[in-house]
Amino acid sequence: MDELEAIKVTFFQECEELLADLEGGLLAMEEGAGDLETVNAVFRAVHSIKGGAGAFGLEPLVRFAHVFETLLDAVRGGSVPNTVELAAVLLRASDILADHVSAARGLGDVDMAASAAMAAELAQWTDPNAAPAAPAPVAAPVVAEEAAPVIIGADDDAMDEDDLGFVFVPQTITVEAQAADAELIPSNVWTVSIRPKSDLYRKANETALLLRELNRLGPIKATLDDSALPALENLDPEAAFVTWIVRLETEQDESAIREVFEFVDGDCDLEITRGEASVEAAVAALTATTEPVAAVEPAAPPPVELIAPVAEAPPVEAAPVVEAAKAAAVAPPAQKATPVEVPGPGQSVIRVDPERIDRLIDLVGELVINQAMLAQRVGEYGIAPSSNLAMGLDELEQLTREIQDSVMAIRAQPVKSVFQRMPRLVREVANMTGKHARLVMDGENTEVDKTVIERLSDPITHMLRNAIDHGLESPEERKAAGKNPEGVVRLAALHRSGRIVIEVSDDGKGINRERVFGIAVKKGLIAPDLQLTDEEIDNLIFLPGFSTAEKISDVSGRGVGMDVVKRSVQALGGRISISSRPGQGSTFTLSLPLTLAVLDGMVVDVAGETLVVPLAAIVESLRPKPEEVRPLGPVGSVLAVRDSFVPLIDVGLTLGYREESPHPTDGVVLLVEGEDGSRAALVADAIHGQRQVVIKSLEQNYQQVEGVAAATILGDGRVALILDVDATINLRRREGGAPRPPEPSLIAAE
Amino acid sequence: MAAAIALPENLDLKAAAPLKAALLERRGAAITVEADQVRRLGGLCLQVLLAARKAWDQDGQSFSITGPSEAFVETTRLFGAAGALLSAEFQGAES
Repeated sequence: MDELEAIKVTFFQECEELLADLEGGLLAMEEGAGDLETVNAVFRAVHSIKGGAGAFGLEPLVRFAHVFETLLDAVRGGSVPNTVELAAVLLRASDILADHVSAARGLGDVDMAASAAMAAELAQWTDPNAAPAAPAPVAAPVVAEEAAPVIIGADDDAMDEDDLGFVFVPQTITVEAQAADAELIPSNVWTVSIRPKSDLYRKANETALLLRELNRLGPIKATLDDSALPALENLDPEAAFVTWIVRLETEQDESAIREVFEFVDGDCDLEITRGEASVEAAVAALTATTEPVAAVEPAAPPPVELIAPVAEAPPVEAAPVVEAAKAAAVAPPAQKATPVEVPGPGQSVIRVDPERIDRLIDLVGELVINQAMLAQRVGEYGIAPSSNLAMGLDELEQLTREIQDSVMAIRAQPVKSVFQRMPRLVREVANMTGKHARLVMDGENTEVDKTVIERLSDPITHMLRNAIDHGLESPEERKAAGKNPEGVVRLAALHRSGRIVIEVSDDGKGINRERVFGIAVKKGLIAPDLQLTDEEIDNLIFLPGFSTAEKISDVSGRGVGMDVVKRSVQALGGRISISSRPGQGSTFTLSLPLTLAVLDGMVVDVAGETLVVPLAAIVESLRPKPEEVRPLGPVGSVLAVRDSFVPLIDVGLTLGYREESPHPTDGVVLLVEGEDGSRAALVADAIHGQRQVVIKSLEQNYQQVEGVAAATILGDGRVALILDVDATINLRRREGGAPRPPEPSLIAAE
Repeated sequence: MAAAIALPENLDLKAAAPLKAALLERRGAAITVEADQVRRLGGLCLQVLLAARKAWDQDGQSFSITGPSEAFVETTRLFGAAGALLSAEFQGAES
């Protein structure tokens, strides 16, 4: 990847953050919380995207961002009132801006018609008469008579006013000088007066870049005016004082010149006139600049652009006239640097290659293992726990654990990055389905491991779509039911007992259990005479091939049902549940591990092998009594646990460690619950205790093994396999060793 | 004895305040400003240098910018500030 590409990647990363800031700000505005600071933040986001895009020549993006920014600037300046309706328009515009960014990135297309329509709508807001806002043509009227008038809006009144002198515009060119030289003006010479404001620099823009850009249009000569520059000791180093007058020779028209200043619109006073300023004025200006500031008369003509005969002017050595034709060659690198200058959202952030962090996590995993091995060795030598060595080891363990936590925290990210994409989704889905939906988000700052975050987006997207499409009623139905026509969809994240819980709830009609049951029967998923509890009926929607949408809508019901959501959640080691109350809405709850790198497990012995069973799956462990074990079928048996029967699965047999199962009463039984809620009793020989283990992928280091989720390295250096509880249950079932028992409580969940 | 300061590579917005402070500290004696490292010169630092030049001139002390990098020379010319900041050999020909 060359340098430019690398910078481009950074730019797009920043764009994502900026778009998120933009949306956050606009949502605040939509809720009526749009103070000036918010509007400024929103403006800066769009401005920064535009600036970066300009540097990479991403034309459509720049054009759209410009219109967007112009409107925001007007809001900022107070000429367009900041209303909730405006915020709604701006939100839609931000969606299109995001599309433009994606398109520029090569991901997806922009609906150009929609983009153009939105641009027109934005322009309409900026100025209902849609008249272009050109800078006041202060100096233009002077040349207007003889040289072709080029400034929009120049009129006779303005010309008359010129005699009065524009004291607030120091660049006013004397009428006499101008008129005298009028006939000599070549048509391709322009005078550009640039007066940067402090904001220009504050926004990381640069006059040097503007001059370079001008220089690309044709040869320039810049004259700087530092008459307003305070003495060094009084100089505010971050305020703009110096101004420039540039003589530009170009075949391009005025709009091309204006385009150079597109990014600094509002941050720089600009005057563009055809022709050049007079020698006299230039000389006067030069004299002014060479004298001490205090000696300059307030009404003294400011420096004006110099023309060729300047060599005759006396203070030549002080005449900073420069031909910078070579500058063009240097321009591109300067441009490249532009996006890097774009200030971030205020926080200092280090971007680190995720691979480096993964490597660090791996190493810390090794450290944890090593420390455990050391502790075990020391234990084997029978060293007293109160000895210095043992205590030192305890401290080491503490430290290792802290390092591990800190390293994991590096990868932890707030779920915000996923949540931020959701308001748009809700808007779009609501539009498509004709429903009114408001998204309420909670706990965006809840942190979870990056590996988990990346895979949260799809399930959340799907659940939100479902909540709006199937959960919420149409506005009419809601009104009829005495509810607010606008439905509320709530997306929340929280930490609960070492896991992250994501809740998606709606205040819609709730699950229509009768219909769900009917569909499940019709599709042959369950027997018609089956007695199911409400909760079991609700869970039917997770069955593969179940879709309740009467008509296949664009939004959901594309054959991708909740079963897919459930499977992707399970793949993350999570579980999903649903609760619903008729007329009041439904809540989907996802519970996921905070990380995929470490796991709390129960270490057990099976046929001389050490295995780790994920603690999350274990409900309880027990030593069965002989009367609780009942044979079932030729080889299988079930265990009576309180009121229900649970299939007994010998892990050693399932994984092929042994041919013959010992009697369950000789070992221990781990009562486990699969991700689908089904229970099973796993038979092991002995329990060694609980331990946090570092997960080592089998797929990456060896190959996938059915029934085994991953591996870990124990304190004694041996590799232990981590049991895949669900796969073990299914494996046993397929082999027919433990046929499905007839308890209804199990059928519903499967 | 003449004081000397070396300009950093990047004379952008962030460099302006430190540059002003560094120059003010050395006020009252001749100064040599080494510009060989400069890769970017922004408008704000240009202002600081121009103000410094004036200040030194007022004090009757010498203010010289030595060994300017190509980028420094190019940008200074672009700004129209070569006459004020650069010695004759770097001021460039009128074209």
